Amino acid sequence: MVIAENDLDLINRWKDEPAPLLPVLHAFHDRDGYLSDEALRTISKSLQIPLADLYGTVTFYHHLSRNPGGLKAPRVCTGNICCLHGAHDILQDLKDQGSEATEMPCSGRCDTYVPVLQGHQTLSGTTAQSLQAHPSPLPPDYPGSYQEALFAQIREPGRNSLKNYPFESLEKVLASTPTQIIETITASKLAGRGGAGFPTGLKWKAVADCDRHPKSIVCNADEGEPGCFKDRTLMDYDPFALIEGMIIAGYATGANRGFIYLRYEYPETNALLEKCLAECYQENLLGKDVLGSGFEFQLYLRRGAGAYICGEEGSLLNSLEGKHPFPRNKPPFPVTHGFEDKPTAVNNVETLCAVPKIIQNGPDWYQSLGLGEHAGTKLISLSGDILRPGNYEIPIGLPLKTLLYDWAGGPLEGRSIQAVTMAGLSGGFLGHQILDTLTLDDPCIRSHGSFLGAGGIMVFDDTRDMVKAAHDAMSFFAHESCGKCFPCRIGTQRLTERLGGEIKNLSPENWVTEVNEIGETMKTTSACGLGMAAPHITESLQKYFPEQVAKATQNAFQAP
Amino acid sequence: MSNPLKDMDKPDTIFAIGTNMTECHPVAATGLKKALKKGAKLVVADPRKTRLAELAHLHLPIRVGSDVALLLAMAHVIVSEDLIDGQFINERTEGFEQFQSHLAEFTPEWASKICEVPAEDIRTAALWYSQAERGAIYYTLGITEHICGVDNVQSLCNLALLTGNLGKEGTGINPMRGQNNIQGAGDCGAVPANYPGFQPVEDPQFHEKFKNAYNQPELDLGQSMTKVTALNLAGDGIHAMLIDGENTVVTDPDRNHCQRALESLDHLVVIDIFLTETAQLADVVLPASAWGETDGVQANTERRVQRLRAAVTPHGDSKPDWWIISQIARELGVTGFDYQSAKDVFNELCSLSPIYAGLNWDNIGDGNYQWPVPEEGHPGTPILHEDEFKDAKPGLFKIIGYRDPAEVIDEKYPVWLTTGRRLQAYHTRTQTGRASGIDYLLSEETLEVHPEDAKQWELQDGGFVRMASRRGEVILKVETTTRSPRGTVFTSFSFAETNINVLTGSGYDPITQTAELKVCPVSLTPA
Amino acid sequence: MINEPNSTFASGPSIKIDGETIFFSEGETIYEVAKRLQKNIPTLCYDERLEAFGGCRLCVVSVEGIRNPVASCTTKATDGMVVQTAPPEIEKMRRTLLELVSSENRDTQPNPLSGFASQELSALVNKYGARNGRFQGAKSGTSNFKDANPFILRDYEQCISCYRCVRVCAEQEGDYAISVANRGFKTQITTEFDHDLRDSDCTFCGQCVQTCPTGALADKKALRSAELPEEIKKTRTVCPYCAVGCSIDLMTKGNKIVGAQPAMKGPANKGALCIKGQFTFDFIQHEDRLKKPLIKQADGTFKEVEWDEALKAAAKGFARAKAKYGRHSVYGIASGRAPHEAAYTMQKFIRAGFGTHHIDNCSRA
Repeated sequence: MVIAENDLDLINRWKDEPAPLLPVLHAFHDRDGYLSDEALRTISKSLQIPLADLYGTVTFYHHLSRNPGGLKAPRVCTGNICCLHGAHDILQDLKDQGSEATEMPCSGRCDTYVPVLQGHQTLSGTTAQSLQAHPSPLPPDYPGSYQEALFAQIREPGRNSLKNYPFESLEKVLASTPTQIIETITASKLAGRGGAGFPTGLKWKAVADCDRHPKSIVCNADEGEPGCFKDRTLMDYDPFALIEGMIIAGYATGANRGFIYLRYEYPETNALLEKCLAECYQENLLGKDVLGSGFEFQLYLRRGAGAYICGEEGSLLNSLEGKHPFPRNKPPFPVTHGFEDKPTAVNNVETLCAVPKIIQNGPDWYQSLGLGEHAGTKLISLSGDILRPGNYEIPIGLPLKTLLYDWAGGPLEGRSIQAVTMAGLSGGFLGHQILDTLTLDDPCIRSHGSFLGAGGIMVFDDTRDMVKAAHDAMSFFAHESCGKCFPCRIGTQRLTERLGGEIKNLSPENWVTEVNEIGETMKTTSACGLGMAAPHITESLQKYFPEQVAKATQNAFQAP
Repeated sequence: MSNPLKDMDKPDTIFAIGTNMTECHPVAATGLKKALKKGAKLVVADPRKTRLAELAHLHLPIRVGSDVALLLAMAHVIVSEDLIDGQFINERTEGFEQFQSHLAEFTPEWASKICEVPAEDIRTAALWYSQAERGAIYYTLGITEHICGVDNVQSLCNLALLTGNLGKEGTGINPMRGQNNIQGAGDCGAVPANYPGFQPVEDPQFHEKFKNAYNQPELDLGQSMTKVTALNLAGDGIHAMLIDGENTVVTDPDRNHCQRALESLDHLVVIDIFLTETAQLADVVLPASAWGETDGVQANTERRVQRLRAAVTPHGDSKPDWWIISQIARELGVTGFDYQSAKDVFNELCSLSPIYAGLNWDNIGDGNYQWPVPEEGHPGTPILHEDEFKDAKPGLFKIIGYRDPAEVIDEKYPVWLTTGRRLQAYHTRTQTGRASGIDYLLSEETLEVHPEDAKQWELQDGGFVRMASRRGEVILKVETTTRSPRGTVFTSFSFAETNINVLTGSGYDPITQTAELKVCPVSLTPA
Repeated sequence: MINEPNSTFASGPSIKIDGETIFFSEGETIYEVAKRLQKNIPTLCYDERLEAFGGCRLCVVSVEGIRNPVASCTTKATDGMVVQTAPPEIEKMRRTLLELVSSENRDTQPNPLSGFASQELSALVNKYGARNGRFQGAKSGTSNFKDANPFILRDYEQCISCYRCVRVCAEQEGDYAISVANRGFKTQITTEFDHDLRDSDCTFCGQCVQTCPTGALADKKALRSAELPEEIKKTRTVCPYCAVGCSIDLMTKGNKIVGAQPAMKGPANKGALCIKGQFTFDFIQHEDRLKKPLIKQADGTFKEVEWDEALKAAAKGFARAKAKYGRHSVYGIASGRAPHEAAYTMQKFIRAGFGTHHIDNCSRA
C-alpha cells in the first residue's frame, strides 16, 4: 500500500510525538470531514496499529464519524438539563431542515442552553432558529462573603493572554527543591478535585519516589460528567494557571512531559490552549530549559473524541496511548504504572489550577479557605431549575441552602426545589427532604449515600418527573458504559429499560427487586466508578420519591 | 533447533532468514510475535514481503540465492565494529583469526551489489543482531534448498559463534524442520550416513554394534548413498525401491527426471494412504493406516519425543507402516521383525540409540522429553551446546565464499523463480486438499508477479502465464502483487495440476545433495 | 521432564483462603493461589494463557479490610490477606451476574463440539440456576451468518462480550484480526470494517473458537456431526503436519473422526493450532483412501488383492532384484510423515535385509 504524500504530512506532523493516535485521527477527520477506510488503513500502517483494533477503537468514540460529511453534522446536546430546555425540539427542527443532526451527551455547557456542536464551533440557543455562537460564560460575580482562590482573578479582562499572566509561582518553584514543593502541596491538604479526593501531595510524592523514567503529568480535562463545566471556565479564562500548575507538578515529581487530555466538546478551548502552549514554548516557559532553569518540560495537548469513560484515569491513559479505552485493572496505579506503564500523576484541571495559588499564598492560606474542619475551596457547576446557574467557588463545608438560595437566587418564580443531583449524575439525587440540612463536604454528603465528586449539581423543581429524570440519567450511563465488565454493560441497559417502562409484564414488586438486585451487584462488582455510581440513580430515586416510583410501576409501566 | 520452542518469545533480536514461518510453522511463529510484543527487534531476510517480513522492523529483500554474501557482510560488520563476544570466541571456538582476515574484503557495499539491498540495511541487521543481549537465528528451507545450503548454514553458525549467541536461553541457531517427523526419520537412522541415534556408518565401532544387533554379517562399513544418487542410478545399479509415504514425483525437483527414474526400476513398492502420483508408478501398492489410526511416536523440530495415538480403527484393510515393512522382511526371511506392536519397535530403537537411551514407550508420556536423554532419569536437553559443542570440540569458524546459484538469469530465462509453501496447504495437498473447506481459502495455484513485471511480460492479473525453465514448462494463473519483488516470481508446489517441480532441479548441494528448489531462472510469456 | 514450578511452596508469604493458610510466590493472583487449593471460583472471561482481564466479575471474592469484593483474577495476593471465596452475599451476586448474562442471549445449550471451552457458560448457568427468565430485556450482539467461511461459526447473539476471542487472537496468535466495535451493550466483535474473516487478517487458527465460553464462535466442521448419537471421545495425539508438533485431541463419535481440539497444555503449542491442525483432519476417512493392497497388472491397471498375495509380490520383487543385480540394487525411502516405527523398520529392513546403507528419507526435498 502506497501512502499519499499529503497523508504522510499529516502523519509526520505527529508520529514522533508521544501519544500520536488521537491527533492523527483528528487530522484526517478534520481534513476529510470523516474517517474513511483509506484513512484508517493509512493510519494503521503508519502508526503500526492493527487495522481491526484501530477500526474497533474508532467506533468506540462518539464524535468520530465514519460517514462523509459526518464531522460537520450538528450534534445537539441532550444532556439532562438541555432536555429540560427543548433540546429534542431543536434536534427535530434541524432534521426537518434537512441536516444530519444527531444527539450528543451533556457537552459541558449547562450554563448556556442548548449547545449544538457544528464542526469546530459551539452554537447555542433554545430554538433551532436562534442558534448562534456565544462566548463561554464567566462565573457570576462572587456572591459570597468568603474568599475565592481559583476564581479570584478569573474575571480580570485579558487574563488568558500571556502578557497578563506573570508565572510568579513557577519562578518561586524553580528556586526551590522538588521536595519542598511536595511538602507545600501536602500541607495545603489539596485533594483531587476531579472527584476522587485523593491527596495531591501524596500522589506527587508517589510519582517522585519512583525512579522509572520518563514520568508524565496528565491533566484530566475530559470534563465529561453531565452537569459539570467548571474546568471549561478555568481553561477558557485562566489557561496559564493550568499550564503553570502542570509545569510545577512536573518539576515536583521529576516528570519532563505532560499531556492535557481535553474533551472533544470544547473546540474553542482547544484552539485557545493550542495558542497558549505555542506562546509558552516561545517564551521558554515550556521546552528543553524552562526559564533557563535547566528543567525540561514538554506539554502536549490531546483532544478526546467523545467518550465519558475517558474521564476514568485508566481509560484516559489507554486512550492517550492509542489503545481501546477500557479502564485498567488497579493496582498497579498510574503513579507507578501510568502512561506507557511509567510513573504518571493524573490530576484534574481544578486541582492543577489550585497549585499556583497555593505556592503563591502558602499552604496555610489555602487550607484555611474551607469552613470548619474542611480545607480549601471547591468549584461547583450549578445548573437546571435555578435562577442563576453557573460556576461558583465555594468554601468546602458551605451549606447547600446558601448556595442554592443566597448565591444562585433559588428556584424559578413560583416553583420549589424537588431534588438536586450530586457529582453531576454519579452521586444520584438528593431529595428536598434533606436539602436544608446538607453542607457541601464529603463527610456530610456521604452520610446520605452520595458524594460531591467533580462538583456538578443539577436542580430539579417540583414540575419535573423524577422517574423520567432518572431514566435520562441511566440512559446516559448506558450510552457511556464501555462494555468491559458484565455488571455495568448489562446492568445500565437493564436499569434503563426498567426506568423507561419498557418491560411490560413486570409486577411493581418484581420491578423493585430486580432494580435493587442489579444495582447492588453493579455497585459491588463493577470494574470502575461508572458502574459503581450508576445505581445511585435508582437507589436515590426510590429513597426520596417512592410515590413517583410506585405510580410509574403501577400504572404507566403496566400499559399494554 | 538448538533451543526449545518455548524460547521463541525470549530473544531481543530475531534474525529470521529463509523462513516463511507464519505460513509454514504458524504456531511457532506465535512465539516470535509474542517476542515482538515484548519489544524484540525482528530482521527478516527474504526476497518476498512475507507476513513475517511485514512484521519486521527491518526487511532485507535479498536476491534469491545471495544469502552467503549477506551473511559474510554481516560478519564483516560485527568484526570490524568490534561487536564480537571475545570471551566466547576464546573459550569455545577455533579459527577466528583466519576467519577475521577472510572477512576483510566482504564489506556491506560488496554484498549490497549481490544481494540488491542497501549496504546500510545490512549494517543495521548486523548491529541489531550482535548488540542484542539475546540474538536468535531462525531459518527454514530458504537457507537449505540451495546448491550452497551447507555454506548458508555454516555462515549462520559463524554469526552465532562471533556473537556468543549459543547455548543460552533465547538465542541459538534454530532450523525449523518441515515435516512432522522429519526429525524422527533422522533420529531413527533412516538416513544413509547414520545408524539410529546419529551413529555414523563409517565408524567401525557402530558397524560392529549393528552387525550384531541386526544379525547381518555382510553389513557394509560406510558406503552410504543418498536418494538423489539412487534416483540418478535408477535402472543402472538401483533396480528395486521401497518408498514409504512420499509423493516423490511431485515433491522432488525435476519431475520428468524423477518419473523416468522410477519407471526404469524393475520393482517399485509404495506404501501410502492414497494412490498418489508416485504410487501410480508402483508394481505393488500397500495401504498404510493413517494418522489418527496408528499408534506411534514422533519427534518435533525441538527434538521433543511425543506419542501418537489411534483414535479410530484403520480404514479398510490398511495396516501400520511398521507392520507392512516387517511382513515384507519376514517374507524375505530377514530375522528380527517379530514385532507385536509399535511399542516393541520403539523400545528396540531406544535400546540401540544412545540419545534415546533414557526413553521408552511408557515414560515419554505427552512429550516430556527433548533428546538427548542418555539414561533413565535424565531430564532431557531443551538447549543444546549449553556448555560445550558436540563431542566437546570447539566451534569451528568455517571459511566460506560466495557462489552464484547453479543457474543464473540470462536473456532466455530472465526471471528468478522461487518456490515455497502456503498456509492453507500442506506439501502436495494429498491430505489438506482432501479436507473440506480448504478450497474456500485456497482453490488453485497462482504465480505471484510484481505488477511492474506483469506489465513488462504482458501478463494480466487473473490471466495465465506460460513459465519455462531449462527443464520444462507449466501454465498457471497470474496474481499480481507487490509481495514478490521485481524480477522474482513465486509459487508453491502444492497443486499437482500445476507441478512446479517440472521446472526446478538446476543443481544440488554437493554435500547434502539437497536440491536448489529456491532458485530457478525462468521465462514468462502470456498463455 | 517439563519444569513446572512447584505446585506448593514450603515457605514465604501466605494468605488465608476460606480459613486455610497457604504460601504463595510473589506475583501470584488470589485466583491462582485459590486454584491450587482446588477452590472452584467461577469465571467466564478467564483463560489462564491470557493476561487477566477482570471483565466478568464472577471471580470476585471478599477480602478482609477491603469494602468491596475484589476480582481475584486481577488482584495479587499479599502477605496476610484473608479471603473468603464464596460467602453467601457473593454467591448471590454471582447468580445475579449469571442471570444478567443469560438474559442477553438466546436460551440454547451449545453443543460440546462447538469448541473446547464452549460449555463454560452453560455449566455455570446450570449450577447457579440462572436461566430463569429474570432481568428480561433487549438481547445483545448481532450474529453474522452471512460470513460463508466453512470453519468458524459467528453466532454473536450468544456472545457475552468476555473478549477472550479478541484477546487470544492478539495475545496468543498475534494476528489481531478481530476487535471490539462500539461500546456498552452495543459492543460487537468485529473484523476491520466488519469484513468477512476471509478478507481480514484471520488465519483460521481456531483459537478464538476454542476459548469461546458460550459457543458463539463455534467449529462449523465439527458441528456437522452434531446429530450423530454417540458420545464424543477425545484422543490425545500430535498434529501430523509441520514439525512444531502441536498436541491435539482428536474427537470421535463411534469410529468417525468428527473434529480436532488443541491440547491446552500441549508442550509445543499450549492450546494453539493452525488452520491445518484445526480444520484438515478429514483426509483420514476420505473416500480416496486405499482400502486394500494393489498389484499392477500387465495392462497397467491395479488389481485389489489380499495382504498375503501383496506381501509375497512385494517381497519377491526385492528378492529377484537382489538375485539378479546384487544386494546393492535395492533402495529404501522412508517417510518424514510416518511415525518413528515406520522409519526405524524401514532402515532396519535395508540394513538387516541387504547389509547396505541404501536408505534415505524425504528431507532432501
